[in-house]
Amino acid sequence: MRNVFIMSLFTFREALVRKVFIFFLGISAFILIGLAAAFSLIDTEAITQFANPEGKDKMIREIISSLQLIIVTPLAGLCLLLSIFASSSFIPNMLEKGNIDLLLSKPVSRTQLMLGKYFGGILVVFVNIAFLVVGVWSIISLKFSYWEFNFLFLIVIITFTFAVLYALIVFFGITTRSSIPGMMIAYLIYLVLSPVLLLGKDKIHLLTESEIIRTLIKGLYYIVPKTSELMGSISLSLVMKAEINEFRPIISSFIFLIVIMIYSGYLFNKKNF
Amino acid sequence: MTDVIEIHKLTKIYSSSFGKKNIHALIDLSLNVRAGTIFGLLGPNGAGKTTLVKILLGITFPTSGWTKIFNTAISDYTIKKRIGYLPENHKYPPYLTGEEVMIFFGKLSGIKKPELRQKIKELLELVKLEKWKRTKVKAYSKGMMQRLGLAQALLNEPELIFLDEPTDGVDPIGRKEIRDILLALKSKGKTIFLNSHLLSEVELITDRVGILNKGRLIREGTVKELTERKEEYLITFDPDSTLMSIEDLINGFNLTKISELVYSLKVADITELNRLIDMIRKKEVMIKEIIQQKNTLEDIFISLIKEAEGEVK
Ligand SMILES: Nc1ncnc2c1ncn2[C@@H]1O[C@H](COP(=O)(O)OP(=O)(O)OP(=O)(O)O)[C@@H](O)[C@H]1O
Ligand SMILES: [Mg+2]
Repeated sequence: MRNVFIMSLFTFREALVRKVFIFFLGISAFILIGLAAAFSLIDTEAITQFANPEGKDKMIREIISSLQLIIVTPLAGLCLLLSIFASSSFIPNMLEKGNIDLLLSKPVSRTQLMLGKYFGGILVVFVNIAFLVVGVWSIISLKFSYWEFNFLFLIVIITFTFAVLYALIVFFGITTRSSIPGMMIAYLIYLVLSPVLLLGKDKIHLLTESEIIRTLIKGLYYIVPKTSELMGSISLSLVMKAEINEFRPIISSFIFLIVIMIYSGYLFNKKNF
Repeated sequence: MTDVIEIHKLTKIYSSSFGKKNIHALIDLSLNVRAGTIFGLLGPNGAGKTTLVKILLGITFPTSGWTKIFNTAISDYTIKKRIGYLPENHKYPPYLTGEEVMIFFGKLSGIKKPELRQKIKELLELVKLEKWKRTKVKAYSKGMMQRLGLAQALLNEPELIFLDEPTDGVDPIGRKEIRDILLALKSKGKTIFLNSHLLSEVELITDRVGILNKGRLIREGTVKELTERKEEYLITFDPDSTLMSIEDLINGFNLTKISELVYSLKVADITELNRLIDMIRKKEVMIKEIIQQKNTLEDIFISLIKEAEGEVK
């Protein structure tokens, strides 16, 4: 456990050197300042007055949650894009000739090394997302004097989405010792496969008669991690209603994560350096 | 004395993709290394020295055969607490300073904080890097990297130390310093396994050497055993002696004149040598010195490798 922790901390350190994360923290800070400045000009009383007396509470709540989502969602998407880019080199860097030899000569197991890199990467993204989400949340909550904690669930769900994609990056990092394949696959799933499959599994009967293609699309849908749903409908329902509308995408993505990590660990433990 | 390292019938084949032929990096290699000794593994480039050390440390896995360190299989990674390793071409995260590299590896080795600080200070002084400890390692020269590598290998006060070309890129004074460090470690009872092709250096400090060629251990023994030409002596006579009488002896013994006062002698054993000395002394010829003839390790190395090449062809 201690070894995993040390590896995670030094991965965090490595991430700080990669300018991407600092860049994102900078963007977040910039947006937060902008938001604070904008709000100091807007009269929130007027907005709250506007809500009719009996539905007031519900209305404010919806206004606030929507506002927060509108600001955070595109930034969270950007954060994931940048995180995939920045974290894809963690494993290949560790596996570089001369570096891995040293690490493996220390009293650390290969599994600990891999998990250290894994949790280190997740920690970085967690810090980035938490900074953004907590920042936006506190500014808006302060302004409206209305504290709704549901919004903070976003930190967990976005970090989880990254954790699923990062498992793939770790897998390709270990098998290819290069950062490009993992990065490409993660982007492919996040930007193309997951959205397309989500759409496709419901609409496929309109497009083709072929049973094979239909089964294929459905099958793929169940295997590929459901990042679109995690970042979309599940986030939305968590923030708006504090409940999870559907557990299946979360569970299947989590199973995907676990399977990939176990398989990566197995391969890493057998690998010759 | 116990064996710290045991290697039994070790074979390593690197299977290459693209249908090229496989590389036999190690072939049926057996070897034991005693506690408290310095063992030098010699061999030309590509002989398999690094491969052997990597297998011993569990960095690469053998195709067949087994190894043990401290009577334990390396799959038990906790025994690495008692091992230090300086790899060839080692790399550190370039954004860390020398001191941070030491902290990182120290923590991974399970050393606690106050102790670690003291240890790092000591070691960086030992390898003469204290002035550079706050500099990022990407700015280090080759020799400085090597010194840092040695320092990190000693962090956990290992009982067994593997060094792969430790003096590579180090200047002559630095080499002497490293040799002294190794001898000091040996005097503390540590075992050292040294990979090198710098024969003259190995000759200076090792107790036993092994010569590896194309994956085969072609010779193993003490430096003395390998370099001694047992039956050959160089005898120098005193100039005042009447050397005429020496010439008479040549018939009885295998004595060849090398220069006016120097003769080379080949004998079967020490008894024969002493018989000759008795005869010389009877004639009251003065002997100035008798030196047993030696090869340098380099001579042996080259002739062994050549011999092996001949067999292969
Ligand atoms: N990862 C690898 N994949 C394939 N072949 C390898 C690998 N590592 C080493 N080899 C091959 O195994 C043989 C032994 O290599 P090794 O590095 O052990 O030699 P060495 O004795 O350490 O040489 P040097 O003195 O140059 O360091 C070489 O033929 C080398 O090409
Ligand atoms: Mg080598």
